[in-house]
Amino acid sequence: MLWRRRAGMNGESDLAIHGATPGENIDESVRALACARHLPQPHLDRWLAMNERSRAAFLEIAQTLRLRTGQITAALELLEEISVRDATDCADILAAPEIARIRLHAGSAPARARELIETLRARRFPRLRETSTRLAGAIRELRLPRGISVVLPRELRSDVLTITVEVARVAELDGAIEALAARRAAIARIIEMLGGSE
Amino acid sequence: MNFELDAVFIEDSERETALARRIAAAVQDRAPIENVADGRVPARAIAGADSFSAGKRRMVVMRRRTPFVMSCPAGSARFACCGYLVMVLASNCPMDCSYCFLQEFVADNPGFQIYSNFADAFEELERIAHRAPDRHFRIGTGELADSLAFDTMTGLSRELIAYFAEREKLTLELKTKTDEIGNLLDSDPRGRVLVSWTLSPEKVWRTSEHRTAPPAARIDAARRVLEAGYRVAFHFDPVIAYVDAEREYAELLDHLFEVIAPEKIAFFSIGGLRMTPGLRAAARRRWPRDPMLLDEHVLADDGRLRTFTPLRLKLYRIIADRFERAGVKVPGYLCMEAASVHERVFGAAPASPATIGERLARERERF
Ligand code: SF4
Repeated sequence: MLWRRRAGMNGESDLAIHGATPGENIDESVRALACARHLPQPHLDRWLAMNERSRAAFLEIAQTLRLRTGQITAALELLEEISVRDATDCADILAAPEIARIRLHAGSAPARARELIETLRARRFPRLRETSTRLAGAIRELRLPRGISVVLPRELRSDVLTITVEVARVAELDGAIEALAARRAAIARIIEMLGGSE
Repeated sequence: MNFELDAVFIEDSERETALARRIAAAVQDRAPIENVADGRVPARAIAGADSFSAGKRRMVVMRRRTPFVMSCPAGSARFACCGYLVMVLASNCPMDCSYCFLQEFVADNPGFQIYSNFADAFEELERIAHRAPDRHFRIGTGELADSLAFDTMTGLSRELIAYFAEREKLTLELKTKTDEIGNLLDSDPRGRVLVSWTLSPEKVWRTSEHRTAPPAARIDAARRVLEAGYRVAFHFDPVIAYVDAEREYAELLDHLFEVIAPEKIAFFSIGGLRMTPGLRAAARRRWPRDPMLLDEHVLADDGRLRTFTPLRLKLYRIIADRFERAGVKVPGYLCMEAASVHERVFGAAPASPATIGERLARERERF
């Protein structure tokens, strides 16, 4: 592969992939992008520590989606953690169909960049994602009336479920108590799920 | 166990103590011995890539200048605590678990310190026992160090056992990940010494518990000390939520119960992997390829990274249920968890710290 320099959208130096590329050229391109984005050194080191395939794959996606500095650092961190935990390399992670789809599909670069980070986060925290989705589904199933909300702890970091009731009139209070009482068993089930029950 | 030592430093004032002499005799040609005026100096971090690792290989025999006995540092009003007292006879550890909190806790003083004036701790214990004559206390030496690593060299366990064997209301807990039990087998604890092992599945041991004894060897060592008249306990701490954890913790317990009848176990504790962001950063720096440091952690309300709650509690339940299904009531407690979590796992609110500590200390009456 060959790498050629081109002008970025906002005038900064940017790079594109073109054919066969020796490792030094990739590194040069990585450094140039890191410099343009003011990427802190530890993150650049992390990038350069990847194998050549992975360095190139991440460079390509960083350019295609025009990742911002914060997104580059977040993605590098997530990629590194996933690759260690799942004993794979970053190039393989980035080649997964759900990421290939983000890379290739139409849509604005910023939206796709956000989607990339979300997808990596989902892969980094698969069971958290799955459990959160299941719990959110159980809350939706409650079909709570207006004025009552059942909120999960952020990132399921505790076992405390927050139930909020907003009322302006006594009649609304009575209605809310009745609605909650009618859903007691289902809410109890959500509390159990938060405590690790299937 | 044969741990590597780069150097041994002995404080001038301590050279003639029995402990310093024993260590000097045991070290012989294994490492150079240097006398120093103040042991705190070589105990400090030295500049270099991994001063914590280097500290583990620098043994410092010195006086402890602060009290030996304290409440367990893990205790907090947030948690349902077990009322454990800690007796600090050493600091740092020759083994090297990737998740070990010492990587942060003793980062500035990583030298492997052994306190030659350890007998002063006995006076502190006498005062504590005197102030609360009706209470039982459980006192452990395995918080800032492993209780038995280097015991062959120091012989400390013999002196501790001799002291505690005579104390009706004090129970010593020696906590270890070694199988270094030689000195225990020819001492008589008179039921007043408890030896506890931290247990992890084989996979965690392989990736993360460097230089420790394999889990099967720990369990076998437990069987041997049990036969020699000690009580035994097990800590499932840290529980790590890796992909096969549910099955492998259950298998670990199956193996444990095959070797040691559950009714012979004094108690068990469970605690999830928890790391301050500082500890996590230090651990990741030292062990960048360790997958166990990368389970699904979120920042909990106490400022520590912990496995997200439903998964963490599910694993706790697997362990607690295995004990429950064993058909005997083995007391269990959770380390650094809220009372609500305790209730979810064990089905009842925890007792007050003093009561838990006392119950665990008194458990010898069951045997
Ligand atoms: S055995 Fe205990 S004290 Fe020693 S390194 Fe492991 S966790 Fe730390």
